[in-house]
Amino acid sequence: MVDITTVRQKIAENIGTITGLRTSAELIDNPSPPIALVALDSVDYHNDFGNGVVLSFSVSVIVGRSAERTMQRKLDAYISPEGAQSVKAGIESNRSLDGTVDDLVCPGVSNVGSITINDQTYLAAEFQITVYA
Amino acid sequence: MAKYVVTGTNVTLNGEDLSSNCARAELVISAAEVDTTDFGSGGFTEVIGGLKSGQISLDFHSDFGAGAVSRTFQDLVGTIGTVTLIAGNGTAASAETPEYTSEVLINSFTPVSGAVGDLSTFSVTFPTSGEISYSTGV
Repeated sequence: MVDITTVRQKIAENIGTITGLRTSAELIDNPSPPIALVALDSVDYHNDFGNGVVLSFSVSVIVGRSAERTMQRKLDAYISPEGAQSVKAGIESNRSLDGTVDDLVCPGVSNVGSITINDQTYLAAEFQITVYA
Repeated sequence: MAKYVVTGTNVTLNGEDLSSNCARAELVISAAEVDTTDFGSGGFTEVIGGLKSGQISLDFHSDFGAGAVSRTFQDLVGTIGTVTLIAGNGTAASAETPEYTSEVLINSFTPVSGAVGDLSTFSVTFPTSGEISYSTGV
C-alpha cells in the first residue's frame, strides 16, 4: 500500500535537487519564495485488481514579485523541460521515488502567472504530476 | 450475495498471481450452434448446442520487473498455460466467489505498447483448450 506522505516527501526531495529552490512537502501559510509546494489534488482507486492507485499531485512553484524581469526569467528556467533549473527534470529525476511507487510523470504546467499571497503578488506556475502506485 | 462492483478479480497464470497488474478480466463460455432445421420446422430454423469453447481476455499494466507480468509472458507464446479467475472480488473459491480454471493457448503477447505520456498496457485474448472447470471450494 502506498504511503501518500512518503510520496509527497520524495517528490519534494526530487525537486530539492534544484539549486536555490526551497521545497515543502505540504502547503504552508507563509511561503518564502522561491519555493515549490507539493499538494495532492486527487486519487483514483481501483486502477488494477491489486488495489493500485493513480495519484494526481500539483507542485506550485512561486518565484517572487511578478513585476520583476529577473523573476520572469527565473520562472522560464523552472518551466524549461530540461536543464539544471528545470522543475520537470527534477520531478522526473527519480521516477520510482526510491521504489515507493511504480512510476510518475510530469505531463505539463498550468496556471502560469500571478498569484496573491498575503497581499503580495507573486509570479508562479503549477506543475502537474501523475503517480502510478 | 448482491450485485457487485468489480474491484478485485483474482487472476493467475501457471500459478503466478498477476492480479496486481491486471485491470480487466473476461471469460466467455459458448456453444456452437448446430442446425437441425428440417421440413417440420414450420419455416423457422432450429438449432441444438454443439461443442463448447471458451475465450479469456485480460488487460494488463506492463511491468518488466523481476517476476513481473511482462517477463512472465515473454517465453510463453505458443505454449499452453493454466489460467484461474476468481469472480466476485474473491481471493478464494466459494459459492459466491467461484473459481474458473482452464488451459489456454497463449497465442499472442504485446510486449511494447503505449503512446507518450500513457501508462503502458497490453491486452491478450486466448482461446481455451479443453474443459473449463468451475469450483466453489466445496
